[in-house]
Parts: sequence; structure tokens; C-alpha cells
Amino acid sequence: MEDSYHITGYAEHFGTWVSLILLTFMTVFISVFGADLNTLTVATALFIASVKALVVAYYFMHLKYDPKIYRIMILIVMSMFVIFLIMLIFDYLTR
Amino acid sequence: MEHSFSLPNSGHNYDAKASKLGMWLFLYTELLLFGGLFMVYMVYRALNPDAFLIASFNLNVWLGTINTVVLLTSSMTVAMSITAIQKGNSKLSLILLALTVAAAVIFLVIKYFEWGAKIEHGFWPGMDHFTNLPFGEQLYFYLYFFMTGLHGLHVVVGMVFILIVMKKIKNGSQNKNKNQLLENSGLYWHLVDLIWIYLFPLFYLIH
Amino acid sequence: MTGTSASQPSYLDVTKGLFSWIFTLDHKRIGLLYLYTVGSFFLVGVILGVIMRLELFNPGADIIEAQTYNQVFTLHGVIMVFLFIIPSIPAVFGNFFLPIMLGTDDVAFPRINLMSWWLYVIGAIFALGTLIFGDGPADTGWTFYAPYSVKTGTNVSMTVLAAFVLGFSSILTGLNFIVTIHRLRAPGMGFNDMPLFSWALYATSWIQLLATPIIGITLLMILAERVLGIGLFDPAIGGDPILYQHLFWIYSHPAVYIMALPAMGIVSEIIPTFSQRTIFGYKAIAYSSMGIALVGYFVWGHHMFTSGMSGPSAWIFSLLTFFVAIPTSIKVFNWLATLYKGSIDIEVPLLYALAFIFNFLIGGLTGLVVGALAADVHLHDTYFVVGHFHYVMLGGTGFAFIGGLHYWFPKMWGKMYNKAVAKLAFAIIFIGLNILYFPMLILGVMGMPRRYYDYLPEFHTLNQVSTVGSWIMVTGLIIMLVNLFIAHRKGKKAPDNPWNGITLEWQTKSPPPLYNFDKMPKLAKGGPYNYPNAKNS
Ligand code: HEM
Repeated sequence: MEDSYHITGYAEHFGTWVSLILLTFMTVFISVFGADLNTLTVATALFIASVKALVVAYYFMHLKYDPKIYRIMILIVMSMFVIFLIMLIFDYLTR
Repeated sequence: MEHSFSLPNSGHNYDAKASKLGMWLFLYTELLLFGGLFMVYMVYRALNPDAFLIASFNLNVWLGTINTVVLLTSSMTVAMSITAIQKGNSKLSLILLALTVAAAVIFLVIKYFEWGAKIEHGFWPGMDHFTNLPFGEQLYFYLYFFMTGLHGLHVVVGMVFILIVMKKIKNGSQNKNKNQLLENSGLYWHLVDLIWIYLFPLFYLIH
Repeated sequence: MTGTSASQPSYLDVTKGLFSWIFTLDHKRIGLLYLYTVGSFFLVGVILGVIMRLELFNPGADIIEAQTYNQVFTLHGVIMVFLFIIPSIPAVFGNFFLPIMLGTDDVAFPRINLMSWWLYVIGAIFALGTLIFGDGPADTGWTFYAPYSVKTGTNVSMTVLAAFVLGFSSILTGLNFIVTIHRLRAPGMGFNDMPLFSWALYATSWIQLLATPIIGITLLMILAERVLGIGLFDPAIGGDPILYQHLFWIYSHPAVYIMALPAMGIVSEIIPTFSQRTIFGYKAIAYSSMGIALVGYFVWGHHMFTSGMSGPSAWIFSLLTFFVAIPTSIKVFNWLATLYKGSIDIEVPLLYALAFIFNFLIGGLTGLVVGALAADVHLHDTYFVVGHFHYVMLGGTGFAFIGGLHYWFPKMWGKMYNKAVAKLAFAIIFIGLNILYFPMLILGVMGMPRRYYDYLPEFHTLNQVSTVGSWIMVTGLIIMLVNLFIAHRKGKKAPDNPWNGITLEWQTKSPPPLYNFDKMPKLAKGGPYNYPNAKNS
């Protein structure tokens, strides 16, 4: 291949893994022991899940080192999906 | 090649970038495939918040956590195996992929026991205990079986994908200079992981 | 496989035999495979349509009974939507011409391309298999609305599976085109130097890619409910059938643009060629395709105004629907502006393109009528809707398809058809179409509901007019097909560039050589439609 590409080091992968595991324990901890947060638990659980997803996509899936177009495309796809969700739930919330 | 003409951009050339782009596009379709299920989940959970909460107590958080850790670890090994092959170390790459497959098997075995326990307790659609559940809880279990089942199917597919790539690394057709197939199977595997990252809190951590 | 000798054989002559076709990796042959299969299913669909029209010639059950009628319109809808119109233009002309227009020799993934055709065939076998297996073809309408689709005894499962497999085929085509457009454009061809047909295909492919999975999963849910008893839409256990409608239309509305956008792409090719003039507003047309694709995702709710959706949702969807009209009319105005002061050649393809504009105008404006919340409450599920979407699908996309066929026929086979006969066929089809469908619009306003084998006596006359229209149209279709068939067999040899076009497909031989070009194609200076001798005033 003509153009050089980025090789992620083992240490970086390991670091990514550690942070993901930490986030997992955090979300389990909050849910099991912080049940009185009520609706907030859903929000935090989803927020942490999204952070994890972002970490996986950026480091494991290499998005961070890919050309910008990949980040733009996934951004468009995900925002479309979020708009779907909003428009869908809007119907149920306003019935 | 005298006396011959070839176009500079040809669909018959090996083009790692094209196959990577293609893989990503395919991942979008997978995301939206599950996306449809997440929409259903969202609506039914919004309509039956309490039932979903009660139903979720039937799942074992710890098994779910273990499975999450297993999948995250396998994601790391597959990512490392790409690093290994890019550095020219096919052997290490193979070992790491074997670990990934092992993790996938562990995941599936744990899932098997989880499902088995549910079915033993009569939670499968149509069973006595199930039909007596309130509506919302039935919906919860429908979604649980459908979504984790489909996810499990993806785990199997990803596993097969990785096994094929392992064979290609062994016979040398995936190597230091040409390893897009491995990268693509890695991407696929990460997607399986990504989806689980959302399934886990949505089903196990409703508390 | 990159090195090819200077005088290649044409793609039709390289190899012979059935297997050299059904296992070919050549995008042109795959395009033709699609043409033959898609075309055959179109004819099957037309026959079913004519049967319905015959049944409706008189009130009461004359030739088929109520249940059979239900199955016929379902099969008609499924065939026409999933087997004809969604694959039609992208899979046939897109496959054949996209690589040539971009100046390359194939799509990015030739093998996946072949696979998508095979998936199409498998899906088609499933769809028609319902005629033999199970308790007859589905009777739900092509929309498979839950909960009826879950309860009915007819073979919905297999039909749904067919739609799922066909969706996969469509995804693979779209994926292939996007990568082809990104990676394989000729050197020096930026996105904004692509022909507009490629732009239209690009937008279409994104819809295929991002919308189809949603119907895939929705249909799987129907399947799971029928086969495994995992019921997600059954109101008896707290499920919500309206949710099914949401999910169905999240795909199926954008699917309407899978049908319309490539058709607009063809029209955008035909019009500059036959006016010998630069297209007016290249960027406006190109970006409005993307605009339609984008807005098209967020208007699905206008199919559900009467379903019990919430009031605020309904009016938001209605409002958004009107926005689709903007990019669409941008295109129409640009086409008209291109024609203005062009040196117009009234050839057969142009006639189809102009008829497209006319029919699409009726289809589009009636679309706005049903998109308006208040009007739709009256018109929903009446023949107004049936008239509306036939104007769009047959009068629009169907005409563009036939127009494209006449436009590219000399390139595809290197033969020319009899133009006078083709014009005659055009006139008959056009007149037949309007006699067939315009009465439906009136019937709808009068209140005749769709999906019934029977009707009240006051609808008799208009139904008879409509049925006569179907005969006229079918006559025209037959003349057209026979004309093309004769041309294909023993037509005069066509020159390489019969229409004096300047997009890249006209620079190569007719029919094109195996790897599309014998020498490097030259891009037109100043954009793909910059006609050298045009009076650009
Ligand atoms: C000669 C051509 C055609 C004739 C005579 C015809 C006739 C009809 C009739 C009478 C119906 C109404 C059934 C009812 O509601 O009772 C119908 C429905 C339908 N047609 Fe056609 N049609 C033709 C071509 C097409 C084409 C080209 C398409 C699409 C590309 C198409 C798509 C549909 C669809 C989607 C339905 C709705 C089926 C349903 O209600 O589930 N038709 N057609």
C-alpha cells in the first residue's frame, strides 16, 4: 500500500480495555447500589454506555486514526437514528 | 504490458480502502437493524416502565457483567491481533484470534445457561408461567429473547468470520501487507461488542 | 485482470452460454440479468393488475372472489414494489452505466454484485413460492399490517421472508454503488463532475443502505411472531400495532425515493442530451437529490394520519411532507430551464422524459393533497391514493425506466429500434395511463375505498373507463416490447453515439467492450454536460 497507516500499539489497546472495564464496573455499581436515583439511572446507564461505545469506536475500531469522512458518516448515521427515536417517542408522549 | 490498455481505477484491483469503506457501510446497516429493535424497546419501556423494572429482576446482573467483560476482552484481543499482523507477527496474531474465539465461546455458553434457566422457570413465550405474566413483562421477555438471540447469532457469525481469517493467516494470504479482511472481521467483532454495550444496561441494569 | 488488449471483444461476445451469464462478474451482464428478471416480474405484475381491473369492470364478483382479489392485489403490490420498482432503475441501468459513466471498468465489488442478483432471484422464488406452498399467497396488502398479518392463515411468513431477502439484495447494490462512487471515479472527476444519474444513484444508495435494515428487522419481528410466537405487535398482550406501522413506514416512505430519485436521474440525463445544452443548475439538481433523500427520512408519518397517531405528531409530519416538494420542484424547474432555448430533438427518450414530468406533476401534486392532514382524513384508503401512487410509480418511475431503456438501448446492444413505432407505442401508453388512473382520482374523491373487489353502483362508469384504459395501456406496452424485441434481433446497427451525448458512456463503442473502454475516456471540459456547440444563452 502506498500510503502509510497508523499502527496502534499494544499498550494503547490495553489502556482502552482498562478504561472500558472501569466504566463497566461503574455502571453496574451505580445501578445496583444507586437505585434511588430513579430515572437518573437510565440516563446515567445510557450515558456511560455511549461513552463506552465511543471509546470502542475511536480506539478499537480505529476511527480516531481514520480519514475524517468516516467520522462524518457515522455521525450522520447516528444523528439520523436519534432523530428517528425522537420523532417516534414524540408520538407516544403526546397521545 | 505493451499494446494493452488498463484504466487507472479498476474494480478488479485489490483495494483495501474500498473494502474498508464497504465494511463500514455494512456496519451501518447492522446498527440500524438493531436500531429498529431499540426503537421498539424504547416505546414499550416508556409505556410499561414498572413492568420492565420488575421483569428485569429475573436476570442475573453478575452473569451479564461477566459476559460484558468477556466481550470487551475479546475486543481487545482482536484489536491487538491486527497490531500484531501489521507488525509482521502472524503467529501472535493467530494466538490472539484464538483467544477471541475462545471468548466468544465462553460468551455463548454463559448465554446458553442464562436462557436455559429462563426456560426452565417457564419464561419462554407460550409456557404456563409466561402467559400468566402481566403484559409489560411479557413484552420485556419477548424483547429480551429477540434481541439477545439476534445478538447471539451475530456472535456466531463473527466467530465464523474470524475462523476463516485465521485460516487465511495460516496459509499466508492475510499478511503484513494485505490484511484488510482481518481488519474487517475485527470491525465486525467490535460491532458485536458495541451492541452488547447497549443491551447490557437496557436489560440487566434497569434497577 | 487490469491489463486488457487494445481491441477487446464486446461484452456480449466474450463468452457464450447460460453459465457465462448467470455467474458473470461483469457489471453490464449483471445489469442485463436484472433487466430480464425485473422486466419479467413487471409483466407478471401487469397481468395481475389487469385481472383486478377486469374484476372491477362490473360490480360484484364476476371473475374472482373476494379472497382471491385480496391475494391478487397483495401479490401485485409485492411484485411491483419489491421485485420491480425498487430494483428497477438502480439495479438495471445503475449496474450497467454507473461504472461506464464514472470511467471505470466495473463496480467496486463485482462478486457482491453477482450475489445481490442471486439474492434477488431467491427472494423472487420465495415471493412466488407462496402460490404453491402454504395456504396461498398473503392477503394482507403489501404493507403486512399487524395484527392481521400475524393472524391470517395465508402464507404471510414466506412473503415476508421474500421481502427480507430482497431487502438484503437491495442493500448490497446500494453499498456497492456508494463505494464505487467514492473509490472508482476516473482521475480528474470530482464529485461535482459526475453525471447527474450518478448523483441520483448515490442518494438512492444511501437510502437503500440506511432504510432497508429497519424493514428487515420489522419483517423479522412479524416472522418471529408467526413462527415462534414472540409477539411484539399483538394488542392482546399489550403490543402496539401502530408501532408496526411506524417501523414499516420508516423504511417504506424513503423507499418511495428509492423509486423516484433514480428516475429523476435518468430524466436529468435525457433532457440535456436532447436539448444539446448544459443542464441548468447542475449543483441544484445534484444536491436536491441529497436533500430529498434526507427529508424523505422524516416524513413517514404521513401514511398514518388516520391510524391513531397523536395529533401533534400528525401535523408535524404533515408539515415536513410539504418540505419534500421544494427540492422536487427545484428539479422540475431546472429541467424546464434546460429545455428553454435548447436545440430540442424530439426523440423517443425525450418524449418519455417529458411525460415523466407531466405524470410526476400529477403524482406529486396529488401527493401534496394526501399529505395535507385535513384532506387525507377524507382521502385515506380511497382510490385517490391508488391513483396517486400509480401516477408516481408507473407514470413517473415506470416512464423513466422505459425512457432510459430507449435512451440506452443502442448502447446496450449496439442496435437501433424503429423510432416511428416507438413513438406510436409511447403515445398509446401515455394515453392509456391517463385513462387508467385519472378516473381513480375522481373515484377516490367520491369516496370509493381501495382494496375491495366490489363497489357501489354509482362508481360503475368511471371504473369501466379505468378498465378500458388498462387495455389501451397494455396494448401500448406490447407494441413497445415487440418493437424492442425485433430491434434486438435484427435492428439496424447503431452508431456509437446516436444522440450526440457527451457523458462518458457515449465515448465507448456500442455495445461496450468487455472492460468498457479501449482508450482512456476524455472528460468534457467544464462539467459533464458542457456541450461544445451549444448556444448557452
Ligand atoms: C398495467 C398496470 C397496472 C394496473 C392495471 C394496476 C392496477 C392496480 C389496481 C386496480 C390496484 C388497486 C387494488 C385495490 O386497491 O383494490 C393496484 C394496487 C397497487 N398497485 Fe398497481 N397496477 C398497475 C401497475 C403498477 C405498477 C407499475 C406498480 C408499482 C411500481 C403498482 C403498484 C401497486 C401497489 C403497491 C398497489 C397497492 C396494493 C395494495 O393495496 O396492497 N401497480 N394496482
